[in-house]
Amino acid sequence: MRVPASLSLRLSLLFALVTLLLLGGLGAYLYHALGQQIAWRDDRMLQGRLERMEALLDDGESIAALRRRPLLYANMLGNRESLLWMLDARGAPLIEVNPPGLPVPALPPAPEGRLGEHPAVASTRLAWRSVEHDGRRLTLVAGKTLEERERMLAAYRLRLWLAMGAGAVLACGLGWVVARRGLRPVRRLAERARTIDVAHLHQRLEASDETAELRELSRALNQMLARLEEGFAQLSRFSEDLAHEMRTPLGNLLGATQQVLQRERSPEEYRQLLGSHVEEYERLSRMIETMLFLARTEQPSRTLPREAIELRALVEPLCDYFEGMAEDDGRALINCTQGRVTANLDLLRRALANLIDNALRHGDGGTEIRLVSLAEDGWLRIGVVSHGAPIPDAQRERLFERFYRGDPARSRPAGTGGLGLAIVRSVAQLHGGEAWCESDAAATVFWLSLPVDGGRAAN
Amino acid sequence: MRILMVEDESKTADYLARGLGEAGYRVEVARDGLDGRHLIEEADFDLIILDVMLPGLDGWELLRLIRRRSQVPVLFLTARDAVEYRVKGLELGADDYLVKPFSFVELLARVRTLLRRGPPRERERFQVADLHMDVLKRRVTRGESRLSLTNQEFALLQLLLEREGEVLSRTLIAAEVWGMNFDSDTNVVEVAVRRLRAKVDDPFPRRLIHTERGMGYVLEERP
Repeated sequence: MRVPASLSLRLSLLFALVTLLLLGGLGAYLYHALGQQIAWRDDRMLQGRLERMEALLDDGESIAALRRRPLLYANMLGNRESLLWMLDARGAPLIEVNPPGLPVPALPPAPEGRLGEHPAVASTRLAWRSVEHDGRRLTLVAGKTLEERERMLAAYRLRLWLAMGAGAVLACGLGWVVARRGLRPVRRLAERARTIDVAHLHQRLEASDETAELRELSRALNQMLARLEEGFAQLSRFSEDLAHEMRTPLGNLLGATQQVLQRERSPEEYRQLLGSHVEEYERLSRMIETMLFLARTEQPSRTLPREAIELRALVEPLCDYFEGMAEDDGRALINCTQGRVTANLDLLRRALANLIDNALRHGDGGTEIRLVSLAEDGWLRIGVVSHGAPIPDAQRERLFERFYRGDPARSRPAGTGGLGLAIVRSVAQLHGGEAWCESDAAATVFWLSLPVDGGRAAN
Repeated sequence: MRILMVEDESKTADYLARGLGEAGYRVEVARDGLDGRHLIEEADFDLIILDVMLPGLDGWELLRLIRRRSQVPVLFLTARDAVEYRVKGLELGADDYLVKPFSFVELLARVRTLLRRGPPRERERFQVADLHMDVLKRRVTRGESRLSLTNQEFALLQLLLEREGEVLSRTLIAAEVWGMNFDSDTNVVEVAVRRLRAKVDDPFPRRLIHTERGMGYVLEERP
């Protein structure tokens, strides 16, 4: 059977089912108890009759005298269901009160008195006992047909069924009402949730007036909303930045071309223009390439080949690579790293290159840039230490965002603009690690923290 | 040297054919896969440049076809740079690949490398004008004076000398000299070339290292 979709309906049906089971159990028990009670009472009555018959015999009344008064017995017994036999040793009736006209029962001797069904006719209860009287063996039999008892029990059964049915229907209805009432807060929550769309991501669900379970739910939903809002804000900021960043080189291309086309120019001027175009194209191309790189590395399902990397051996050629740039403004790159880490070689190299590049751009001339490492608890922290003006806290938070620039002035005309650190963070996250920045008057350190085992535990 | 280029994007095909023609190669262009197959079966080429996404027959199919016939070098052009594409291309027997967008200088450099066939001969001595390099002795002289170069400068100069007359892009220089295979914003190469120039060119009246704006650097004797 298909489970009904509405929670209220489901609850009320369950309610009805439970009621039915309870009432049914109770009814069956009561019915059974009543039947037993009645049977016990009937048996007691039959036994009582036997005793009275015996007493009559003991009182010395002769059988002949007793046989003369059959109507008396009939009246004494008082209804058409009661039976009485006094049988002689051969089983022939000496006295018989038998309104329904049942056959004379053939019964085994029972000096102690016995109870049982009529051997020939069903639904007739008999009590019999063998006695000695005046030297004769007699069998006293008292009986009762069970028709009335069965009629009564049938009526009782019917009532029980009706009561159970009515109870179930009632329970279902009440359950429905109760469930609807009980679930009203859920509907209120849904209504409030419905009002939240992209334009109203700042709205939150109120949790104060709800039940404990719903408070839990609304708190979880609110947290989800906060994350969504944050992600959404970041995404729209990013799209804006991206549009802006692309607009600059495109503007240059368009403007410079139109300006040159104003009139005839010398071949040298055209060459100049095309050369400048190439630079802009390269900038756009790098930007797109980097965006693709970021988009790919941020796919959670992506797995990359990883290998064990000797950090010192990785950093050495990087220092060599940047040596010229460092020496240009009187700086030195010092490799103090050590340790091994399992990571993707290309990505890690790229991240470290970006960190060194960043340190070279923003540190003060004449200072040194030191690459350090720190191993602890299965993590390897790689730091790039440089010296310069400390980065304010508010900026530090956003440094790793795409296109974010601490310095609003466009100091790097040919750069892709602020994607370097975004790549660093992306690479860190891809390995299950993180990247952050510490900065004070003494030094600025960009940290890259990676799990030594290559992020297998994190995945 | 005959080059076959299979490329359906007409602008791309046009400028590549023109550029390769100007560089001294005879270029034939096929605009789709079926044309490409026809030309491959008709004639022999020294190099084939293949686009992956082609109407008719795609680049993979053509590559299989080519490999059944010959070992002619094949350069793949692809708009997709996912690793699996590169691996697939190389496994099928491509000799090199370039991801679009690529710079023309890059393409030219790769074409030259592929046509050179086999590993470049290790040369021990170079001479351009009055510049001499003795690789084994790690000695560089210009005219009468001996130049003292750092390892980095030496490696860079050696690369420029090996490829004398070819324009080398920044990317290629970064990859060849430092093994850095990614395109970054840094002007490391500019700085390195400037420092090399300061020793090799600046003290002398005749310049040998030239900058091709937007293309890269070239070492040659110019009148």
